[in-house]
Amino acid sequence: MGQKTPRIYSVELNGAKDMKQTDKGDGKDKYRGLQDNCLELGKNQRKEHLTKEIDLDDHKLSNKELETKYHTNIVTGLSSTQAAELLARDGPNALSPPKETPEIIKFLKQMVGGFSILLWAGAILCWIAYGIQYSNDKSSSLDNVYLGTVLALVVILTGIFAYYQEAKSTNIMASFSKMIPQQALVIRDSEKKIIPAEQLVVGDIVEIKGGDQIPADIRLLFAQGCKVDNSSLTGESEPQSRSCEFTHDDPLETKNIGFYSTTCLEGTATGMVINTGDRTIIGQIASLASGVGNEKTPIAIEIQHFVHIVAGVAISIGVLFFIIAVSMKYRVLDSIIFLIGIIVANVPEGLLATVTVTLSLTAKRMAKKNCLVKNLEAVETLGSTSIICSDKTGTLTQNRMTVAHLWFDNQIFMADTSEDQLKQTFDQSSGTWASLSKIIALCNRAEFRPGQERVPIMKRVVVGDASETALLKFSEVVLGDVMEIRKRNHKVAEIPFNSTNKFQLSIHKTDDPIDKRFLMVMKGAPEKVLEKCSTIMVNGQEQPLNNSTAEAFYTAYMELGGLGERVLGFCHLYLPADEFPETYSFDVDAMNFPMSDFCFVGLLSMIDPPRSTVPDAITKCRSAGIKVIMVTGDHPITAKAIAKSVGIISANSETVEDIAKRLNIAVEQVNKQDAKAAVVTGTELKDMSEDQLDEVLTSYPEIVFARTSPQQKLIIVEGCQRQDAVVAVTGDGVNDSPALKKADIGIAMGIAGSDAAKNAADMVLLDDNFASIVTGVEEGRLIFDNLKKTIAYTLTKNIAELCPFLIYIIVGVPLPLGTITILFIDLGTDIVPSIALAYEKAESDIMNRKPRHKKKDRLVNEPLVVYSYLHIGIMQSLGAFLVYFTVYAQEGFRPSTLINLRVEWEKDSVNNLEDSYGQEWTRYQRKYLEWTGYTAFFIGIMVQQIADLIIRKTRRNSIFQQGLFRNKVIWVGIASQIIIALILSYGLGSITALNFTMLRSPQRQMLLLVVTIQASVLVCGCAPRHSHLGVR
Amino acid sequence: MRRQLRSRRAPVFPHSYRYRLDDQDEVNQNYLADEEEEAEEEARVMVVPNLEEEEEEEEEEEEVKEEEEKDEEEGQGQPTGNTWWRKLQIMNEYLWDPEKRMSLARTGQSWSLILVIYFFFYASLAAVITLCMYTLFLTIGPYMPTFTERVKPPGVMIRPFAHSLNFNFNVSEPDTWQHYVISLNGFLQGYNDSLQEEMNVDCPPGQYFIQDGNEDEDKKACQFKRSFLKNCSGLEDPTFGYSTGQPCILLKMNRIVGFRPELGDPVKVSCKVQRGDENDIRSINYYPESASFDLRYYPYYGKMTHVNYTSPLVAMHFTDVVKNQAVPVQCQLKGKGIINDVINDRFVGRVIFTLNIET
Repeated sequence: MGQKTPRIYSVELNGAKDMKQTDKGDGKDKYRGLQDNCLELGKNQRKEHLTKEIDLDDHKLSNKELETKYHTNIVTGLSSTQAAELLARDGPNALSPPKETPEIIKFLKQMVGGFSILLWAGAILCWIAYGIQYSNDKSSSLDNVYLGTVLALVVILTGIFAYYQEAKSTNIMASFSKMIPQQALVIRDSEKKIIPAEQLVVGDIVEIKGGDQIPADIRLLFAQGCKVDNSSLTGESEPQSRSCEFTHDDPLETKNIGFYSTTCLEGTATGMVINTGDRTIIGQIASLASGVGNEKTPIAIEIQHFVHIVAGVAISIGVLFFIIAVSMKYRVLDSIIFLIGIIVANVPEGLLATVTVTLSLTAKRMAKKNCLVKNLEAVETLGSTSIICSDKTGTLTQNRMTVAHLWFDNQIFMADTSEDQLKQTFDQSSGTWASLSKIIALCNRAEFRPGQERVPIMKRVVVGDASETALLKFSEVVLGDVMEIRKRNHKVAEIPFNSTNKFQLSIHKTDDPIDKRFLMVMKGAPEKVLEKCSTIMVNGQEQPLNNSTAEAFYTAYMELGGLGERVLGFCHLYLPADEFPETYSFDVDAMNFPMSDFCFVGLLSMIDPPRSTVPDAITKCRSAGIKVIMVTGDHPITAKAIAKSVGIISANSETVEDIAKRLNIAVEQVNKQDAKAAVVTGTELKDMSEDQLDEVLTSYPEIVFARTSPQQKLIIVEGCQRQDAVVAVTGDGVNDSPALKKADIGIAMGIAGSDAAKNAADMVLLDDNFASIVTGVEEGRLIFDNLKKTIAYTLTKNIAELCPFLIYIIVGVPLPLGTITILFIDLGTDIVPSIALAYEKAESDIMNRKPRHKKKDRLVNEPLVVYSYLHIGIMQSLGAFLVYFTVYAQEGFRPSTLINLRVEWEKDSVNNLEDSYGQEWTRYQRKYLEWTGYTAFFIGIMVQQIADLIIRKTRRNSIFQQGLFRNKVIWVGIASQIIIALILSYGLGSITALNFTMLRSPQRQMLLLVVTIQASVLVCGCAPRHSHLGVR
Repeated sequence: MRRQLRSRRAPVFPHSYRYRLDDQDEVNQNYLADEEEEAEEEARVMVVPNLEEEEEEEEEEEEVKEEEEKDEEEGQGQPTGNTWWRKLQIMNEYLWDPEKRMSLARTGQSWSLILVIYFFFYASLAAVITLCMYTLFLTIGPYMPTFTERVKPPGVMIRPFAHSLNFNFNVSEPDTWQHYVISLNGFLQGYNDSLQEEMNVDCPPGQYFIQDGNEDEDKKACQFKRSFLKNCSGLEDPTFGYSTGQPCILLKMNRIVGFRPELGDPVKVSCKVQRGDENDIRSINYYPESASFDLRYYPYYGKMTHVNYTSPLVAMHFTDVVKNQAVPVQCQLKGKGIINDVINDRFVGRVIFTLNIET
């Protein structure tokens, strides 16, 4: 796990312009991102192009019509000149890579985002101020240069940090380009040529054979045993046969179209190129995925909001006091320096880096729980998720067929479908079961790969198709060594399953040494199997098949089918020994054996069962106020059955159809409000308007979308987002990548997922397990709570940093806190404690409250700001001022003397400034005292921040409920605060640029300690421990 | 209150009405939950009641404000061109709502309540801080500073006052040096013999003038008469030698409470050319002739009790300085406990100035 730690951390903390556009909710701008795309389509056209179904009718045309349409000839192909013309017109047959933003632009973007602009302004103002000072007086102090440089350094370092994170972000197109075939066999000028696939044009006749990748979208003209693997496109992993007949209206479903980048598994085919490059289906999906702009994550929006608040406060106070200063007859230069000080005091320089670190800490924690986070901000997004659109196969289900139900002796038995299936508990004493189990074991071609005796049965690798694998494993669990049973019952003949017969048959010698009869066993589609039966086995006895037993069969069949399960019928026949002696040779082609009067034994149904952890996870989602919507390409019945079994459709809710069925009325007559659940198919969705979809999404709490296409997934996600919901989408195929990209958070499957899906997603579930999402949600919510604490903690000292300037300007006392000292608080002592808050445990059951409302539950809201600034902040500044005044008074300047002392204090020519005791101070002595004041103020804030840290540990609970020592990192934070402060005030005392001096006298320290502890007790005591202030 | 607010506004934004109702239920639920929680906490923690109310108020305010924001956003989303006007209307209504008599979504009562609460909050805060401050200042005596090491060792100041310590003047043009004379005269007013004799005592030279007794007793001060400065007193030569190109410059050591020079070794002043030819200054006369600050002027007891304390002076009479060129002069204090080579502070134990006398 260690080496699999998240690779891509990226926090985008800027981009105000994007934000505004999105906020306007202007529908036309929604596909802004597409403008970057290379498709030369107009904006509106492109929108249609995105959301409408694939518009392709070539599969309906006859060969002749195709020839005319593409001006080609099926036998001779295009002429070289024609091809060249078309190539010039359409461009090469390759996916166009997305336009890359130049690295330097990305870097510069980081340099000007967030607070950077403010700090740059501050730095530049510093240098300008120094320039003016220098032009007046060559010997002016370098303080402003230092400050400007430090500010610039802060911005540059933060920018590099952020850029470094972003540089690791994914490149979606990379995985698509890997899929491009290199060569194609084409007929041109009546000759077969091998040309690079990039040069294919529409109308070319290409030949493909097993193993090739299909070089473009082709309409098949001739096919022989051709099977293709469409998994990269549709997510279905079963090979699909291809022929030249038009079988379905939907181009994705019809058999006579082969898709670009899919693989031909076996057989050969000839086809006409109908689409190339970006116009192919995969090209369209690729452009969908890269075209769907990365929506701003909720946390980015929150941070944006926070930056706006802080910047707003900084600028308005700065400008206000600039005006005040100017009108108080301060020199403009001084006023500018005040302005810088106010900006620096107000901007929490270290916060954005802290947030990034906090997020990455959580990301690491989540990676341990199998959620690999690619985009850092996604950590929180999952926490605010209010709708999860989940894929079915593999995510909710185990992605393997398993025997779910059996029907024999007129009874339905349930089989264990859990992941390990240690034992089957149904009644196995009946004689019918003995026969049935024998058929199951014998009438099966699947085999375990050898050498897996020690592997648990469920994990063994099997050669054979999904259903047979399920049956093999099932019988292995129930009967023991199936291979041994098969050996004992030697197989003499077999008819494999095919789609015309719809049954599978095999003939065995039995293991009963007395009974020399052959046993003929058959399984297949139940109705086909029943046709061949004349008797039915009940309790081990054969009985004639009459109407009532047939009815019982149909009821059971319908019931199992209604559960969305694949049902198989089983029957057998003992061939009379006289007619078929031991030496009889069976001929499968001649069918020299009876094919009727079988004895029906039972039904068995299989399903891809839900993962055992999923129902619990869904319940957790429910209680956490998250709506889970299933979006699947599977059939509605199966989808609904799985939805019911995992709780997406809860046990007591009904769909409109259910109600209609129960009340025996037409679907139209049902009052739609009675139905809590809905199953919507892709075909229905196609005909819905946006409003209708919205209505479906809002009026049903439980929804299943079945038979959906990639575009429809996108439509569904957009619909959810219109409800102001934060949408998480899970998926694994290429077809899912646009929806993954569009979603607020895309979650790809780590095991089953295609590269494209993983690239488009923000998060990868390493174990493909839905339950991991719930863990992620919990972490996400926790991080939101903790970020709130961090921000509250960080904002509090802003007032204590700001007040010195305001008092300095208004009252004219010597500056209590230097700008560089402020930076030492923001980037020094406060960093580790604010990160430590990220380790805080959840205060209550965070999974029992609703997801936060995107627009209401802000990260930084008014109560938080009011509480931080006006309550705790004011207390902190008062405490710090107390220390400041004490230090000055002890040195000789009592507060009354300090007032309005500023001008004299700062005059370099005054070297005999009188204090309250009549002592006279040189300029440098005063400066040194001023630095002592800075240090004292700094220590004052630092100690109170320790108190603040402790009160910020909790938002709702009292400190004692939360436990003072549960979060050990907090204490590391406090220790770091103290150590940094000690180093600054003792170790670096001699570096004048840092403006720190030693607080030498032991008495003074005693006193300081007393004062600050007093002040912090004050802070603690007065701090209202309430949920309302600063916590929403 | 909020309910009414909403239903009244609803017709303006019919498209968002349904939402609003949904949201409202949610909000109300939350609100109820909060109140319960609050009640619990009240029982548990026992917090000052006024803080509690205040918070409630604030929360309400916040919610209403957010409503407003939402309204604004929705207004913006409307396709009609009148959005600005509508926004303005909403803003206006927010600022002053005549129907409900509310300003900023608060009634007058609510506003006054919140003001009172904040008043009490800050008043009590101020009271506590004042108390702390008062207690602290009890530990700091008004007569003697608690620490003096920042102001030690003493700094040095010279008179007359000259901008950036450059004495530029032309002997033949009285206008160029007249202000120095005025400055010196003004400075020496406090040293007039009559005044000194009247206010201060004549104490024995060569030893500390130690006055025991309570801290708060008034202390006597030793006389430093203007006449001690002889040729630089301005009594004989009212131009302090400026008219002859032999300027007088007075040097004063900064006062420090409790500072005592080494016994028997008073602090001496010596001046020389700082950089360049040492012969640029051929002679300097010091007044008093010892060129030192007599021990009797120490210790200083602080301005509360040592009201009439007169800082001792040493006058430097530059009787023979090279003319028509800038001569940098450094005057240093010498003595035990005196530091005169601090790099950053050019006024501790020394002073550097330039003389540029033109003829």
